[in-house]
Amino acid sequence: MRLKHAIIAAVAAAGLHCAMPPIGAQAAELRIGFTLDPLTLDPANHRSRETESVLRTMYNGLVAHDPAMKLVPELVESWQWIDPRTMEVTLRSGVKFHSGAPMTADDIVYTFTRLLTDGALGGQTSPRKSLLGPTKAVVKVDDRSVRFELSEPWPVLPAMLTFQEVVSKSFAEKAGAAGMATQEDGTGPFRLVQWRRGDSLVLERFPGYFGGAPAIPVAGKACTDRVIIKIIPENASRVAALLAGDVDIINELPAHDIRNVEANPNTRVMAVNGTRTFFVALNNNRAPFNDVRVRQAANHALNRKLIIAKLLNGRAEPLNGVMSPAAFGFNPDLPTYGYDVNRAKALLAEAGHPNGIDVTLDADGPQKDMAEAIAALLTQAGIRTKVAVGDGSQVRDKWAVNGKREGDMWITSWGNGSLDPTDIFEPTLATGGRGNSAGYSNKQVDALLAEGGRETDTAKRAAIYRTAQAIVTKEAPWIFLWLPQDLYGVSARLSGWSPAASGWLNLRDACVQ
Amino acid sequence: MRSVALLQRLLHLVPVLFGVTVIVFLMMSLTPGDPAEIMLANQNATPEQVASLRHDMGLDRSLPTRFVTFVGHAVQGEFGLSLFHRRPVAAVIAERLPATIELSAAALLFALFMAIPLGVVAAVHRGGILDRLATVGSLFGVSLPGFWFGILLLLAFAVNLRLLPVSGAIDFAHQPPGLTGFLVIDSVLAGRMDSLGNALAHLLLPAITLGLPMAAILMRVTRASMLEVLRQDYITFAEAKGLGRTRILALHALKNALLPTVTVAAIETGSLLGGNMVVETVFGWPGLGRLVVESIFVRNYPLVQAAVLLYAVTYVLVNFVADMLYTVLNPRVRM
Repeated sequence: MRLKHAIIAAVAAAGLHCAMPPIGAQAAELRIGFTLDPLTLDPANHRSRETESVLRTMYNGLVAHDPAMKLVPELVESWQWIDPRTMEVTLRSGVKFHSGAPMTADDIVYTFTRLLTDGALGGQTSPRKSLLGPTKAVVKVDDRSVRFELSEPWPVLPAMLTFQEVVSKSFAEKAGAAGMATQEDGTGPFRLVQWRRGDSLVLERFPGYFGGAPAIPVAGKACTDRVIIKIIPENASRVAALLAGDVDIINELPAHDIRNVEANPNTRVMAVNGTRTFFVALNNNRAPFNDVRVRQAANHALNRKLIIAKLLNGRAEPLNGVMSPAAFGFNPDLPTYGYDVNRAKALLAEAGHPNGIDVTLDADGPQKDMAEAIAALLTQAGIRTKVAVGDGSQVRDKWAVNGKREGDMWITSWGNGSLDPTDIFEPTLATGGRGNSAGYSNKQVDALLAEGGRETDTAKRAAIYRTAQAIVTKEAPWIFLWLPQDLYGVSARLSGWSPAASGWLNLRDACVQ
Repeated sequence: MRSVALLQRLLHLVPVLFGVTVIVFLMMSLTPGDPAEIMLANQNATPEQVASLRHDMGLDRSLPTRFVTFVGHAVQGEFGLSLFHRRPVAAVIAERLPATIELSAAALLFALFMAIPLGVVAAVHRGGILDRLATVGSLFGVSLPGFWFGILLLLAFAVNLRLLPVSGAIDFAHQPPGLTGFLVIDSVLAGRMDSLGNALAHLLLPAITLGLPMAAILMRVTRASMLEVLRQDYITFAEAKGLGRTRILALHALKNALLPTVTVAAIETGSLLGGNMVVETVFGWPGLGRLVVESIFVRNYPLVQAAVLLYAVTYVLVNFVADMLYTVLNPRVRM
């Protein structure tokens, strides 16, 4: 009998839920279906892109990206190089933390000292320390100015400052490492109301928000009263939540769901070029790819547009070099390796392989389909390619920079979140670079990269990297592939929002009807 | 006598648990490649960062030293730092555990409430339309993959009919004060009917998805055992005495027929843990299963090790309890 009552109560309670209007129906509440829960709310204690995306709704950095990924001052008014080893920033006035306290130079010094000092996070060292490169110390000049002191010239500093968010000194000291992991006191457009781990974050508009970087249009307070970030890791469920009207934005829309989202009158697809460059590393240190003609042949043999259309649903930007078109110093005039089987065969013959070559393409599980498509196209041009699919760690081991590197080709990628060449060009193509799996080595390129790493004049620096790109593209150490787009699904009632290459959610101007 | 046997059974658990611990520990060492490098893949890590992580994980020490440390810490419930959360593994797991227990309990209840009545009805009407429907239904229940069935339910009830929520455990506006971490219990304790309704609505689809395969198995077991009981002399005798059909079924037949059902249910409870990973991921349920899946993807070895050990220990203990239960329910079985 008791059981019967319990069942009736449960059914009635479930019915009660159905009868209630969904919360999402309220006009000023924006809901987001997001893949991953933040690992922590401490901006200094993670190395996760998703965590940074969420934190950026509550915190700001000294420098930010505008929608075109250009660097713009955010919590600073300006920055200037005193000498190649010293950069001074002038702080914006009128910025308040969510607690109401004004942001001061002491907060900036504290934020960066906390990042740079070993063991400063309750005994742990910030995993973001390495993102500050040769920064030695950050010192206060006066109430509105702070200096970054470097052990060597590092012109990429402003770009790398986008990865660090400013915390309140008094709050961080009071909360300690444990408190910083679960609470926040940022300067961003939204403040935290509640975080149910693994389930959702609830944010509300911060009325004292300073308005954001003036260089980013419509600077002002956030548009919506409340934001709920629901954590939905499963792709199909996230898409279902969007289609059901349960959320207004979803990240990582799977390419195969594009049609479903476009077919629904209440939803649409939004895309932005990502920051991860995909390429096939060719082993430059042994035959046959130690011959530039064979490497060029491989580039001509690949119909990148076809693969992008068929396997990536058209959602990728073909590349002719190492960097994203949105990156600093991108060279728009790089020669293109057009799809030309005859040219590829001629180059092979010229290199002494009139009957073609037999090679192996290493790939890990997720890249299998892509690798097979590439192999099929290369084979048509006489580069008879076998695909060897291995576990990610095995393949990485095989291609480790300090290892034997006995493979021919490896399909891989390198992220460039800062969109600065230092972060991708140097590690992957400088002699001995930690990601130089192709074993590429060119003294002129090395010299240019070293020069670019020191030059603080932005125009000169950009010119240096453009020259380096031209050399690399001509020498083709890789088969240049593409830059996949990040896909988002959004509801029709959303306005004022567009996705960012950085992956930041940038919710300040997002409005829902 | 019984307590001695009980003690013996408990002692048998020790080598099993030790074996599990060895396997879980070796997981990290047997993985091809350097775990530190794998964990930092796609982060453009410098060699110094890799070396520092290797040191933090103790990978720069000998295998036996690491094993002794691992066991010593594991006994105290310490599994080191979850490298991505930058917090102790035990704390990260503890905050996700209530959601998983709540979902598993709901799935178990669903399975029992579905399986026992259906099993009895199928046995009583053997060969009839109800029996056939239940048998075919149970075949579907066992065969349907959880992730597919879950998404099907989602599309039907959440996307098209819009009757139930798509994901999560509760809506923000309906959260009860967190006393126990179990949303249903907290709602009842706080007297919040709106929270209870919202929590149950969120619980319904994941519980059905998780409980369905178990319900199917239990239905078959109940049906088979009921059929056997119904053939027994004492049932014929009860009928001859003129007892009512319902009374015979409920008091004499079902009581005995439930023995294997209870045992299988106890064993299957252990397997709910595995199913949780899929169901929690599909329904965005903030539990341990999903945490483990996410941790596997980012190769968060310390957390995966701790969770696997927790699963294994739970499974072993649940089996032990099932054995005990069987001997209690059926005095003819001696340990």
